[in-house]
Amino acid sequence: MSTRKSKVKLLKNMPGVVRASIDPFLVRATNNPERIMFILHRVTGVIIVLYLFLHIYVTSNTIDSARWNSLMEQFGASIVNKIGEFIVAGAVIFHGLNGIRLLLVEFFGVGIGKPEHPKPPYIAPSLRAAQRKAIYIVAVLSVVGWIIAGILIFTGYLELPL
Amino acid sequence: MIIMARSSRLNIWQYITAILLILVLGFHLAERIPGLSPLGVESYEESLEAHKVETAYNKYSIILSILLITALFHGLNGLRGILLEYRQTSNWTLLVNIIIIVLFLGFLAFGFRTIYIHIASP
Amino acid sequence: MVARSKFQELLAATRQPPKEVTIRVKRYDPETGKVWYQDYKVKTFRGMTILDALLQIKEKIDHTIVMRYSCRMGVCGSCGVVVNKKPSLACQTQIAAVASEDKPIVVVEPLYNFPIIRDLVADFGDFFNKHRAIKPYIIRKDPDEVEKGEREFIMDPHDLHEIYEYSLCIMCGLCYSACPVSAGDPLYLGPQALAQAYRFIADVRDEGYEERIKIVDTEHGCHRCHFAATCSAVCPKMVDPASAIQRLRKIVFMKTLGFWKKKKITQIAGPLKEPLRQIEAKYAVENILEGVDPEEQAKREEKIDLEL
Ligand code: HEM
Ligand code: SF4
Ligand code: SF4
Ligand code: FES
Repeated sequence: MSTRKSKVKLLKNMPGVVRASIDPFLVRATNNPERIMFILHRVTGVIIVLYLFLHIYVTSNTIDSARWNSLMEQFGASIVNKIGEFIVAGAVIFHGLNGIRLLLVEFFGVGIGKPEHPKPPYIAPSLRAAQRKAIYIVAVLSVVGWIIAGILIFTGYLELPL
Repeated sequence: MIIMARSSRLNIWQYITAILLILVLGFHLAERIPGLSPLGVESYEESLEAHKVETAYNKYSIILSILLITALFHGLNGLRGILLEYRQTSNWTLLVNIIIIVLFLGFLAFGFRTIYIHIASP
Repeated sequence: MVARSKFQELLAATRQPPKEVTIRVKRYDPETGKVWYQDYKVKTFRGMTILDALLQIKEKIDHTIVMRYSCRMGVCGSCGVVVNKKPSLACQTQIAAVASEDKPIVVVEPLYNFPIIRDLVADFGDFFNKHRAIKPYIIRKDPDEVEKGEREFIMDPHDLHEIYEYSLCIMCGLCYSACPVSAGDPLYLGPQALAQAYRFIADVRDEGYEERIKIVDTEHGCHRCHFAATCSAVCPKMVDPASAIQRLRKIVFMKTLGFWKKKKITQIAGPLKEPLRQIEAKYAVENILEGVDPEEQAKREEKIDLEL
């Protein structure tokens, strides 16, 4: 689609992909948690790719056992690293769970309801369908999973630090 | 010209790799969890000790290889999608495609090198 | 929980709006390239819409403000603007729903993701071109079936129900304005065009699905959608483009894998077995105007004075 040729100077009014991908308040539509999920999915996806690069590089040190052990010791001593690990863990948990939902919706085309004849209060079927319930399930499971991951990462064990 | 070939051939793999990732990434993460870990670890730190990692590389090298390929493809193709939404000129599209392919092949080779060295040395 | 906010939004419209509201309009002057926000104080009445307010401003306060509208009743789809960051039809959004006594201010901006011609008027050229690009008409292997149009296609109510929702689109562009992908990618076909692509691919009368699938199966077609579903959340006609795109993408993927075949394509209706029953129509002669023959009256030339 080429932009039309015309003498009028048009104002470009696009917020751009960066803002659209991180600003949940760019458009304030009611009844739209899907958009928040989209933003989180994208942000967590990018976090995980960047981590993956680092991870492939760091794990190449495992070929030398002594160096790997000392590296892990150094690594575990820093709280900043632990927090970073915690964030990546949360990102993976959310991205994976929401990914299952997106897989069902985008690839298998399920959970988006059936076409309907519009009637008041005119809420689109896909915003009421199973995928919406899946959003709440994903949100709850992500928080629970993240807390468990936090306990594991910060204490080293799967027991409540009482 | 911007390449307007049938892009489902590529994008379908985004979802196929996602299905695979649920399995292999799930396994990879479970290795770290005491009680669940196939490595039989007692704590998170223990799962990262050199001899446990060594076992993981030798015993589960196939799973690790699948994880490497799928995660790299899935992540980079996702990144490519975001970058294609950023600019649409043909030069940019070409640049993105080249960078993504180079990163994919580069990290793939580097990751396989690590796996190979582990299998080769008993 | 979230759905309730929608009800509250609808309920708010039944209330009395604040006596006076400030309409803050984002303006653009194409000659100087200046962009600014301008405040207008407007006296309200019960049931007043954003479009009413804008027209009042144009009539009484500032003649230079420009907007687009036509039907004033949510049918033509030309009055789309962004009200308090939500793409809405100006004629379907009541002041009472978007402003309150505590916050008697409404921000009106031109539609996002469209080039702006002036003030609130967006350029729909590319948007319509994208709609054209997906071939929004019935395509038959034998074009004469449509072009000559001697007889109708068979379509049962169930087939109609499958696409009815999607066929209600009024091309207002709100979905396009709300979509986070259109916000960055001007080549993205957009929710409106993709939903219409699905609407025609799913139509049992259509045989042009192969070419249409080729058109949407590109890097800037259906694969760019990430199901943020804001399109469905803002659509004033409950078209639900988000679901149409997911169904479309499923078809595209399954076709690539070789699993998809169009289930049903209907044929043109056969010739009638018996001729239609003819009913003789007559004007009701009694009871209208005493002594006037309607047949006579219909023939009489009406003289309308057009000179004002
Ligand atoms: C548990 C496994 C995973 C599942 C089920 C999953 C699922 C998905 C799905 C379905 C999408 C497509 C979303 C869309 O385009 O609308 C996606 C996108 C993406 N994924 Fe994953 N994913 C997983 C793991 C990963 C990993 C390990 C990485 C990083 C290496 C990753 C990085 C990305 C990125 C960068 C995107 C693009 C995001 C966007 O365009 O908004 N994912 N994922
Ligand atoms: S799908 Fe809805 S929001 Fe989009 S153009 Fe059509 S009527 Fe407007
Ligand atoms: S569902 Fe797709 S088309 Fe609709 S707003 Fe989201 S990304 Fe855009
Ligand atoms: S003026 Fe026609 S839809 Fe608002």
